Amino acid sequence: MSLAADTPTRRPWLSGSARVKLFAYLLVAPVILLILGLVAYPFLFAIWVSFTDMVVGSVGNFVGFKNFEYLAKTATFWSAIWNTITIVLVSDVLKLVIGLGLALLVHQNLPGRGIFRSFLMLPWAMPAFVAFLTWRVLYQPIGGGINLILTQLGITDQIIDFLGQRSTAMGSVIVASVWRGFPFWFVSILAALQSVPKELYEAAIVDGANAWQRFWNVTIPSLMPVIIVTTLLSSIWTANGFEHVWLLTAGGPSDATMVFPVLAYYGMQTQRIGEAAAVSVYMLPVLAILVIFATSLMMRREE
Amino acid sequence: MATLAEASAAVPAGSASARRRYITGRIISYALLGLAVLLVLFPIYWMIITSLKLPREILRVPSLWPKVFTLDNFNKLLADGDFLLAIRNSAIVASTVTVISVIISSFAAYSMVRFRYRFRGVFGRLILFAYLTPGSLLFIPLSIVMAQLKLGNSLQGLILVYLTFSLPLSTWLLQGYFRGVPRELEEQGMIDGLTRFGALIRITLPLSAPGLAAVAIFTFTGAWNELLFALVLTTSESVRTAPLALNYLITSDVLPWGPLMAGAVISSVPLMILYFVAQRFMVAGMSEGAVKG
Repeated sequence: MSLAADTPTRRPWLSGSARVKLFAYLLVAPVILLILGLVAYPFLFAIWVSFTDMVVGSVGNFVGFKNFEYLAKTATFWSAIWNTITIVLVSDVLKLVIGLGLALLVHQNLPGRGIFRSFLMLPWAMPAFVAFLTWRVLYQPIGGGINLILTQLGITDQIIDFLGQRSTAMGSVIVASVWRGFPFWFVSILAALQSVPKELYEAAIVDGANAWQRFWNVTIPSLMPVIIVTTLLSSIWTANGFEHVWLLTAGGPSDATMVFPVLAYYGMQTQRIGEAAAVSVYMLPVLAILVIFATSLMMRREE
Repeated sequence: MATLAEASAAVPAGSASARRRYITGRIISYALLGLAVLLVLFPIYWMIITSLKLPREILRVPSLWPKVFTLDNFNKLLADGDFLLAIRNSAIVASTVTVISVIISSFAAYSMVRFRYRFRGVFGRLILFAYLTPGSLLFIPLSIVMAQLKLGNSLQGLILVYLTFSLPLSTWLLQGYFRGVPRELEEQGMIDGLTRFGALIRITLPLSAPGLAAVAIFTFTGAWNELLFALVLTTSESVRTAPLALNYLITSDVLPWGPLMAGAVISSVPLMILYFVAQRFMVAGMSEGAVKG
């Protein structure tokens, strides 16, 4: 609607269109001001702090790239890089495969599909901290359900300390975060499946395409936009996730599951804020690419 | 769509091989879905039975079914009142954030959907950027800012900080819903004497009720679940939220699995109720807003 069309005449002190414009700005102002103050300003402040030697209780002096250079010399930092990349890549692939597979299964005309859908979304309805604390208990050598199942089924007779040894800790963290994260993919893909026009399939059948060809040439291309946005969102969230690692392993054993957000939190606890901020800021370039990409895709789809 | 059932539908009906393929497809589908549901439910099941087992049973006699059912863990968790206080704090923070966020986000979303003005595009982008800016980048500067505002270690501070993730998400989702409300209805209302604000309150918001419900649930859930900000911003026990109270249970020397799982069960209950009441809205909200298809 054009503003000129909107011309009530009750208040002559401002022209109709100016009045409407003022109203529009007033409505949007609280959110914009809060976002500027609570997101934009802290964001820029974090970048500044990462270039200072700030500790708790001091203002900090500009030290250039010292924090970044120092971090790059620590082994923990490199563990965090590799672990963050591993968690994001592996869990995205697993969530995609599981989410897509289950969405295709539920999308069939099966009796009882509604019940399956409800159950499959449960992990997403659980609070993340509850989910990861529960997995922490499940993985325990003593009192944990997974060791019980594995030994009872005869898969192994060894009790495995999943979270306590380097060889299994990362895999265990990934399994738990896939469990909690796949429903988001499942629901997104299921909704997208339901919006694929039936005519496309009918046309494909007329052209003699078999089920497999229809899947690759109709289903997958139709899902691509949703899969791309979901991948971007999920990567941003997973790379910056704190709970899954913190509640399961706190980054251990000996940095085997250390990731950026946990490292930044430890930095914060040592009171060396400049270094802690540098940890977060290191993630920024990659994060910025993902965010800008996601933003433009989401904006385009809104238009 | 091109799934097992459909594959069989394409084969001429009535042929025996088509029938066999159809039935096999069904069996495989149900088997896979059944397995998935089992894997989804097992952790939840384990959480519940661990909360109902005696401590000595948890540690010494691992079993799929408790030998003795007990509420000991719940009693132990709730005895000193700390956890109840944490639940109360969580409820206060999450509901306040939800109310503030739904109100001012719906104003902002309405403004950006219905009006055209100079900075609309910039605002839209800002909101989306804010939505995607992770808490792991903001917790350090926010803790300094909150300390400067003398809001560190307080529920008010937490509420303010939680708006950083709830406002962008709510505004983004509500824009999608408001686009679906025909502007003719508002114009009709304004001809009948409503002001523009009146039209928003009386026409647009009621028509977007499912959207508002979805946004309220997402906001409440987000605030109820938040751990990192709470961990950094609060120091005293009196302002701990539920995730924080449980977090401190596992950092103690003795690992109290029973009470921990009792706390997990209690913390899940409000969300599970919301989930079953409002599942429809949540699915719609997800598919129409966050990842619009």
